[in-house]
Amino acid sequence: MECRVLSIQSHVVRGYVGNKSASFPLQVLGFEVDSINSVQFSNHTGYSHWKGQVLTADELHVLYEGIKLNNVHHYDYVLTGYTRDTSFLEMVVDIVQELKRANPNLVYVCDPVLGDHGSMYVPQNLYPVYKNKVVPVADIITPNQFEAELLTGKNISTQKDAVEVMDLLHAMGPDTVVITSSDLPPRLGDRFLVSLGSQRHVRPDGSRTTQRVRIEVPKVDAVFVGTGDLFAAMLLAWTHHHPNDLKTACEKTFSVMHHVIQRTISFAHELAGPGRRPSPPQLELRMVQSKADIEDPAIVTEATIIS
Amino acid sequence: MQERRVLSIQSHVVRGYVGNKSAVFPLQVLGFEVDSINSVQFSNHTGYAHWKGQVLTAEELNVLYEGIKLNNVHHYDYILTGYSRDTSFLETVVDIIKELKTANPGLVYVCDPVLGDQGAMYVPENLLPIYKTKVVPLADILTPNQFERKRLTVMDLLHDMGPETVVLTSTDLRSKRGGGFLVALGSQKIKKADGTRVSQKIWMDIPKVDAVFVGTGDLFAAMLLAWTHHHPTDLKTACEKTVSVMHHVIQRTIAYTAGPGKKPSPALLELRMVQSKADIENPTIVVQAEVLETPLH
Repeated sequence: MECRVLSIQSHVVRGYVGNKSASFPLQVLGFEVDSINSVQFSNHTGYSHWKGQVLTADELHVLYEGIKLNNVHHYDYVLTGYTRDTSFLEMVVDIVQELKRANPNLVYVCDPVLGDHGSMYVPQNLYPVYKNKVVPVADIITPNQFEAELLTGKNISTQKDAVEVMDLLHAMGPDTVVITSSDLPPRLGDRFLVSLGSQRHVRPDGSRTTQRVRIEVPKVDAVFVGTGDLFAAMLLAWTHHHPNDLKTACEKTFSVMHHVIQRTISFAHELAGPGRRPSPPQLELRMVQSKADIEDPAIVTEATIIS
Repeated sequence: MQERRVLSIQSHVVRGYVGNKSAVFPLQVLGFEVDSINSVQFSNHTGYAHWKGQVLTAEELNVLYEGIKLNNVHHYDYILTGYSRDTSFLETVVDIIKELKTANPGLVYVCDPVLGDQGAMYVPENLLPIYKTKVVPLADILTPNQFERKRLTVMDLLHDMGPETVVLTSTDLRSKRGGGFLVALGSQKIKKADGTRVSQKIWMDIPKVDAVFVGTGDLFAAMLLAWTHHHPTDLKTACEKTVSVMHHVIQRTIAYTAGPGKKPSPALLELRMVQSKADIENPTIVVQAEVLETPLH
């Protein structure tokens, strides 16, 4: 399989967020990964301290120019995640557009990171850039419920609302949408949360069809960092292997997440000791230890097809 | 599985396999936790027609290290360094290693003292005294080629400078298997059960390849770290596994570029790293090292 991904995300010296979270699992699955590090920090910003340097939009452009001058700017996928800078994001859009001209089949997987639980945690001025420029060139997006509502201007209270929001997102550009988490009531009980996915296809006769799925995954009593980045990377991998079967792609993606998270929780509690809450360093994803699960995830959750 | 954490301070390239791109994935595949500080970020290695990017200053390196230290997570089992072009950067690396060795006296510093090859230096001359007087004395495992060894000193004298383990990755010694082979040498100071100290020397004949690769030295040092970790008093096995991994990755890379006519470009010659995962995990042994033991006084 010769499949090349350009991933433009953060680098942390220690831990698993951004490119550190996305590259290893994609490489383990045999993808060639070219990575542009948008920042280099000592660790993620949930620790007590963090230090490092950011890449400017100009410096991003210079790196891209280097790739282009060597005529190796040919990618099957682009992957982006957390960004804080509008000019950087706009440069990313320019690069994606140029790469799509070089390869019209390129798939842009975008995690439109804006916020969660009712509030934005990136600067406000990123919102119009995502809405008007980024999402329209994306092929696969992985918003949470807050981001999906923000981008479409529509609230989600029922599954029907969620389906309408995903249709609105399709109309903006992406053929594949996965709402990674929601507060819809789970059927399996309150220790679960509901995720939804929607994929638009064009049939050989030109007509359109949409496959929609619903998955319930166990909630975890901890705050993880880097899981969204791992999710987007694994959704890239599994939709690559199952391009017309969102049900299977989601089952594998959510199953990998489950295994990595469970391994991480066990280890974190072991490190922290009985009765104590694990710290951010202790909660770093057990990524290298999860190699076998990444390669061949045992399926632990079933997606149901919904209409 | 026992937790082993490596700090690797090397280059990052967007595309291709040199520096940290060459070292980190294989170490992670073998289950090591790898913290990586990228000393530069370039589009690709400097053997391509074009390359562009940015370098990390000594000050910025220090800032990153400070972040790790402030969180009290500056505890490593291994440090790995390679190609460097900047004296103040190298000096900051030395300071960091000294501090980390104080925090963990058992820390193993694996150093590729990249100075040059085949008779010529390809880093600034003023790095040589820093390697000789500050870097090599701190190193525990050293992987010079013959040129670097000559510039630094002879093998047993290298042991006296600091490192217990030295591997000369390539020499121009004559292989008894003929001109299609090159000779690599290794030397490890070990203490035997009866208390005597010996230097275990090994000799390997390795098939030559008719191509120029970039990033192979970085992969070699990373894999020597991994296999000496698993075979700490058996340099023969550690080297056989390391050289065998190199062979498989290189052969796969050559096969990928095979085709009539034109010499492959640097882009095509990038190591087939992710495709070699199974060989990295469990290398079939393709080379036999011969052992000689000489007593040390």
